[in-house]
Amino acid sequence: MNQSFDFGRWWLLVKKHWYENQRKYTLSLVAIAGLLLAWFTFIMVLNPYEPIDPGMQFGTYYFGLFIVGCLFASLLFADLSSTSKGINYLSMPASHLEKLLCALLYSVVVFFVVYSAIFYLVELPMIKISNAIAHTHWSKLMYKSGNFHEAEVINVFVMPNRPAGVPNIFFYFLMTYFAIQAAFILGSVYFRKFNFIKTVISLILACAFLAFLVGQLFHSLMPSGNYYHGITSYSFFTNDDYENGKIVQLPEWIDGVLKLFIMYTFAPIFWVTTYFRLKEKEI
Amino acid sequence: MINIQNLHFSYRKKPIFKGLSLQLQPGHIYGLLGKNGTGKSTLLRNIAGLLFPDKGKVEVLGFVPGLRQPAFLQQVFLVPEEFYLPDVPLQHLVDHHAPFYPLFDRKRFEKYVTEFDIPLDGTLQKMSYGQKKKVLISFGLASNASMLLMDEPTNGLDIMSKSQFRKVMAAELNDQKCIVISTHQVKDLENLIDRVTIIDEGKILFDQTVDTIGKKLSFRISFDADEVKQSLYSESSLRGNAIISRNTDGEESKLDLELLYKAIIVNGPLVQSVFTA
Repeated sequence: MNQSFDFGRWWLLVKKHWYENQRKYTLSLVAIAGLLLAWFTFIMVLNPYEPIDPGMQFGTYYFGLFIVGCLFASLLFADLSSTSKGINYLSMPASHLEKLLCALLYSVVVFFVVYSAIFYLVELPMIKISNAIAHTHWSKLMYKSGNFHEAEVINVFVMPNRPAGVPNIFFYFLMTYFAIQAAFILGSVYFRKFNFIKTVISLILACAFLAFLVGQLFHSLMPSGNYYHGITSYSFFTNDDYENGKIVQLPEWIDGVLKLFIMYTFAPIFWVTTYFRLKEKEI
Repeated sequence: MINIQNLHFSYRKKPIFKGLSLQLQPGHIYGLLGKNGTGKSTLLRNIAGLLFPDKGKVEVLGFVPGLRQPAFLQQVFLVPEEFYLPDVPLQHLVDHHAPFYPLFDRKRFEKYVTEFDIPLDGTLQKMSYGQKKKVLISFGLASNASMLLMDEPTNGLDIMSKSQFRKVMAAELNDQKCIVISTHQVKDLENLIDRVTIIDEGKILFDQTVDTIGKKLSFRISFDADEVKQSLYSESSLRGNAIISRNTDGEESKLDLELLYKAIIVNGPLVQSVFTA
């Protein structure tokens, strides 16, 4: 029997987690659907002349994803905040890796898929209703004249009408979400109480520290100038010649590696840290 | 089975153990006695891998408990004082928890649950604290874990259930199993344990088998003032003076665990001297 990972044991854990939490999860999903429904209705009531535009769809999806996803993540290891539940959790004969992967399956994969499905399930009819309402109001207002543009359901993962060469910012948002959610997963193991608030404060402090590092410390070490097209090229001026700046460009591959690092490594780093924190957790 | 050497443990700056050493063998039911806050639960959690020693060695069944490997967790079952069971039907609990214990015996679980007067088709959500505790004890016994650790298991049990508990536990012991019961309700363990370990302020004050205690000490009621004066420990009661004295005639008396516990706490060195002589 493998002491680090055994698929059969992990699957038992996944099933057990579902049976113990199915009622709570189902109710939460109904609540999310209800909130989305209420929000879209509120927008339609607020401005019945315009259908729900892509910006609003995008904003709603990511706002909900960030808030609910991080809240869910911060509750993921809530058992460890209670002595009785923590003993039950840590004494369960499964490895730390299996416990973490089970938690990641529900919080990262299942939550994301189900949240997206519910979003579209609510959004599809709401866009149709919004179009119909807006069209009716528009017709009355314009005396059946003018051009009315119906809203379409957007793909929240692909930036609409993206010019060639412009990166897909929506994908960046998604990657940022996974990184921040991973920080909340770590926070749920790291902090015993008020882990959501403590994680928020920690993230703010970390961002402030990074801003200070880049803005103040690095800036004081560099010659007078600015970053130019990313952080691997730097434009600076010599001998007070503010008109003819020089650009120092690091090799292009460094830019690529840095982008990949920032986009894809934060979440795994937090997951791995969570694993080690779980291993050293004492109750 | 359990080998604890020079265990040091503290909660932040409050030291609990300063060099505790203890060996526990299979085939015994150990009674771990002590006042509240003396480190009984901490010791059990160190054995179960829920707390890690600051210094020293804890080895259980050849495993380092702190690693919490699945093979170790399958063989060590802890019934904590503060326990948690999910609000699911009893059958669901067995269906989804039992597969983690390869030696789990469902029939035995149902037998124990029935003996404790718990309906098999019941739901944990609707059960009282005592009923849930009986379910957890039944589950622990049915898991066939080699090491059963129980922290105040009789807390919350009614009189009938306590008696049932003693009966079930006595029937459960075999040569491969080691049962450690921690409690401050010493009366509940009488006729059950075969070794008494008293812990106080993080130290082992007393550690003897019930057989040895019976051979060395005599527990009885006395009305003789001289005998009371010469005893190792005495306390007056409605029936006379309950005393502990040296067993000089070789006749074994019924162990009064509560009296022994008080004697060790109040007059430890004198009682210990009987065993070291």
